[in-house]
Amino acid sequence: ATHLTESDRSMRDYSEALDMWTTFQTKTHGLSLSLSSQLRLILTPSQSTKLSGSFRTGKRLNIKKIIPYIASSYKRDKIWMRRSIPSKRSYQILLCVDDSSSMGDNSSSGLLALESFVMVARALTMLEVGQVGVLGFGSDVFVAHDLTGPLFASHDTGARVLQQFTFRQDGTDMCRLVRKTIDHFRDARLLTQQGAGQQDLWQLALILSDGLVQSKDHARLRPLLREAMEQRVMVVFIVMDDAGDQKGKGGSVLELKEARFGADGMPVIHRYLDSFPFPYYLIVHHLDDLPGALAGLLRTWFAEVNG
Amino acid sequence: MEQPSGAQVKVTFTTTETDIELPETKRQLLVPAEIRRYGLSRILNSESMLDTGAIPFDFLVNGSFLRTSLDDYLKTNGLSLETNVTLQYVRSLIPPVYEASF
Ligand SMILES: [Mg+2]
Repeated sequence: ATHLTESDRSMRDYSEALDMWTTFQTKTHGLSLSLSSQLRLILTPSQSTKLSGSFRTGKRLNIKKIIPYIASSYKRDKIWMRRSIPSKRSYQILLCVDDSSSMGDNSSSGLLALESFVMVARALTMLEVGQVGVLGFGSDVFVAHDLTGPLFASHDTGARVLQQFTFRQDGTDMCRLVRKTIDHFRDARLLTQQGAGQQDLWQLALILSDGLVQSKDHARLRPLLREAMEQRVMVVFIVMDDAGDQKGKGGSVLELKEARFGADGMPVIHRYLDSFPFPYYLIVHHLDDLPGALAGLLRTWFAEVNG
Repeated sequence: MEQPSGAQVKVTFTTTETDIELPETKRQLLVPAEIRRYGLSRILNSESMLDTGAIPFDFLVNGSFLRTSLDDYLKTNGLSLETNVTLQYVRSLIPPVYEASF
């Protein structure tokens, strides 16, 4: 694993990247709209689901207040709960795209990842819920688009990101990616809080990858993912698995096994995903599956943290 | 004995011999990068793969027989662990010799 600087990373030709962005944006426009409208309901709740507080009138009785109410000869009459008004949320979202060569060499995972990236970036731009940044990763991690950069409203902004993905990195260091993601979000949170922000800030990382990580890293990833959770950073792993559908069932990560040799020298075979350490992951065979799957997963997660 | 690095390589098994063909869902496998012909042979013969007992197999990679470990093959050819290596297996024509390590 070598350290890559801006200058020795290979770049895609600008006009080619611009063509790609235009093509992908047109192709995925409907999906972006769909994702954007589904996310609007999840990410920007206009009504709190929780009933709380003590009021003279309200939606539901607060049972705990009934006895004091009677005991006070019906004087302490703030016995009702109301829906509280939710504080305005803001988001920082990092899209982390796998730039390793397993995404490119006789695999179309890279293409699916870039299309997915364009689709999601456009949906988030339509939503305008906060900042969107892009990280590229492989043997190293690079910032392809800063959180403080513009949203993806112009083809130029998008093309400049696509230029940086050529799938030539000779490793997939997922531990380094998660480490950098946590650090990046910590810095970004500090910067935001120095500003006006008394807002409720949520940080979300979406990893777009073929899911192929060295299995020995699975164990090393667990404490990092715990740290992310403690920092209130949500990490969603989106496995680009186009082979699952198109080229017969053989190529799918769902079917992928790994062989090890036991102490007795006998081979033991396990399902690769059984030790996969990401608690929130989804497997995408087609781009069309992504809006529904991603919205579903985020809905579940928000229900858990708000519950 | 050499300490295993724990590194893995993704391989795809193919063959032209129809009687020992793997089902599609078993053709892709992550194997230890240090693996050699003998280890690959044992994996193919194992119950969860072909369940063929002890047929010695040889492996063709890019047209020539694999005579080193997979990671040596990758290094020699300037390839990384990101490479999905296609291994064509054939019944070995070489008389089996005892090999201490996989
Ligand atoms: Mg990779």
